[in-house]
Amino acid sequence: MHPADRGVDRTAGGPILVAHDIHRSYGTRRALRSLSFTLASGRVLGFLGPNGAGKTTAIRVLTTVLQPTSGRFEVDGIGSEEPIRIRRRIGVLPEGLGFPRHTSGVEYLTYFGQLYGRRQADARAAARGLLDTVGMSARGDSLIETYSHGMRQRLGIARALINDPRVVFLDEPTLGLDPRGQQDLLAMIKGIARERDTGVVLSSHLLSEIEGICDDVVIMNQGQIVAKGSVDEVLGQAGASGPIDRTVRVRVPADRVDAAAAAIDAMPDANVSERDPRGWLSVQVDAGEGSDVDAARNRVLEALIAAGLPILGFEVAGGRLQDVFLQLTAEAIA
Amino acid sequence: MTTAVAPVDRPVAADRPDRPVWWLVFRQELEELWVGGKALNLLILFGILISITAFLLATNNELSLTPPRSMIVVMIHTAMTFGLFIGLVIASESISGERERATLEPLLLAPAGRRQIVFGKFLAALSPWPIAYLYTVPYVITLAQGDLALWPAVAWGAVLGTMTTVAFTGLGMLVSLWSTSSRTSLFVGLLIYILAQLPPQLPGEFLTSPAGALVQALDPLEAVRQFLIQGFIEVKVVDQLWPLLYAPIVVTLAILAVLFLYAAPRLGLEGGSGRSVARASGGSEG
Repeated sequence: MHPADRGVDRTAGGPILVAHDIHRSYGTRRALRSLSFTLASGRVLGFLGPNGAGKTTAIRVLTTVLQPTSGRFEVDGIGSEEPIRIRRRIGVLPEGLGFPRHTSGVEYLTYFGQLYGRRQADARAAARGLLDTVGMSARGDSLIETYSHGMRQRLGIARALINDPRVVFLDEPTLGLDPRGQQDLLAMIKGIARERDTGVVLSSHLLSEIEGICDDVVIMNQGQIVAKGSVDEVLGQAGASGPIDRTVRVRVPADRVDAAAAAIDAMPDANVSERDPRGWLSVQVDAGEGSDVDAARNRVLEALIAAGLPILGFEVAGGRLQDVFLQLTAEAIA
Repeated sequence: MTTAVAPVDRPVAADRPDRPVWWLVFRQELEELWVGGKALNLLILFGILISITAFLLATNNELSLTPPRSMIVVMIHTAMTFGLFIGLVIASESISGERERATLEPLLLAPAGRRQIVFGKFLAALSPWPIAYLYTVPYVITLAQGDLALWPAVAWGAVLGTMTTVAFTGLGMLVSLWSTSSRTSLFVGLLIYILAQLPPQLPGEFLTSPAGALVQALDPLEAVRQFLIQGFIEVKVVDQLWPLLYAPIVVTLAILAVLFLYAAPRLGLEGGSGRSVARASGGSEG
């Protein structure tokens, strides 16, 4: 162990990853601009952004595979000037990770365990333990080439944990998995953060899924952060910056859409902006400044009930991360 | 899937692995090469070519066209030529192929020096050569028909063949470090191989000129061929033959120096000039 490693003071819930004004360019193209954020141990940070937003570049910089053009970061108190020491403290599941074909899952994990300094017997025991953790103990001795995509993703996560990392980076871990596989994987990721007191950086396009497990969010667009903070804070930022929380979506029986639209349009402070054949109506409420939006939403429901229409569904647009994501990335592009 | 994750006592990964990184990478590469069948396939091809060469030489010998010493030299030189081809092909694909298959990134994320990673792969790419050469020896013994030059020629063949294989495998590694596509690196490797075969095909007038002599001296394969011919057919003494080896030794050392001192520490996720090497100030990546 490096002498300096013994002295790292770690407080549960304290900052485990701190990025300071990181920039990264490829020639004249600026892939990352002024990336700054903090991740505390035991928390899951969602890294969101459209394709080409710079998420993968950011992860590669923070995992020392790419060098930042300027700026620095710290992992568990170790500065980015010491990449080998940082690599001992991080686990990474890169996007589209490949695997050797003629090796079993146990052998693969044992190999990486040894690369991270474990003795062979210890690495093998850790490999079996991790395969059990990711639900693959029954297939550990099979060749990787016989694994399904979901099993390979789980093996990749096990590899990312082989060195008991302080921070785990998962780049699109749910890509290509079926809904059940996605749900299981995300539950496992949450478990990793909570029970190992590990910071998790999770890049994904599955916003609704991320909303369920992330504590914090960084939304990126065109190489820069457009929003960051806890999920509630980011939802609040978006609400303060635009009119999206003034839209509600209501579902009524499909054959009663016209009646519902008529009841809403009769209101002085609401009007139907969209409708679809399955019965969903988008309603703009209270366009005026300074009015009580919550009360206006309630009046929409009261009008529908008074008209004798059954309400099959109701949601506030902008109350979901997906709405915020779409709003913020659209604003940044505009 | 089990979603509960057991809390663990987490020591930071050790500074030095139980075994050297180059050894771990070498062992893993060997497994991929030999269990995966790539090395075996190339050796089967090698065996076929050596068998055909031996058959043609034996047929010639029955007609008294080729003396045993010439057959020894031709067989050993043929083994070298095909043996280094195996090393060149494996090396040319060793890193660019990993880039293509997305298996390089986890290796780069391990707390290991880039030079050790490259060294492990380099040794693995050399591994078929001793087996290929040993495979050739029984053919040489048969064709030698008891000639006294047999064992000295076999010994010199092992030394010179190892040198040329090291040189060409090193070149293959350099090409692979530079390339992102295994097809490109294999093509460039093949081009290098063909160029190395060219000098003997050049016109005799050119070869006797100073420029021709320089080309022959700088081509390790041609230099060792001349060494074997002059040493075992023309029976010159070793003192006269040494100058033939100066240039190949220098070329081999230069290739190794460029590979391990310059290129290997720059091993990155991307090939070519778009380096993505995370070299820290202080050069701790080597």
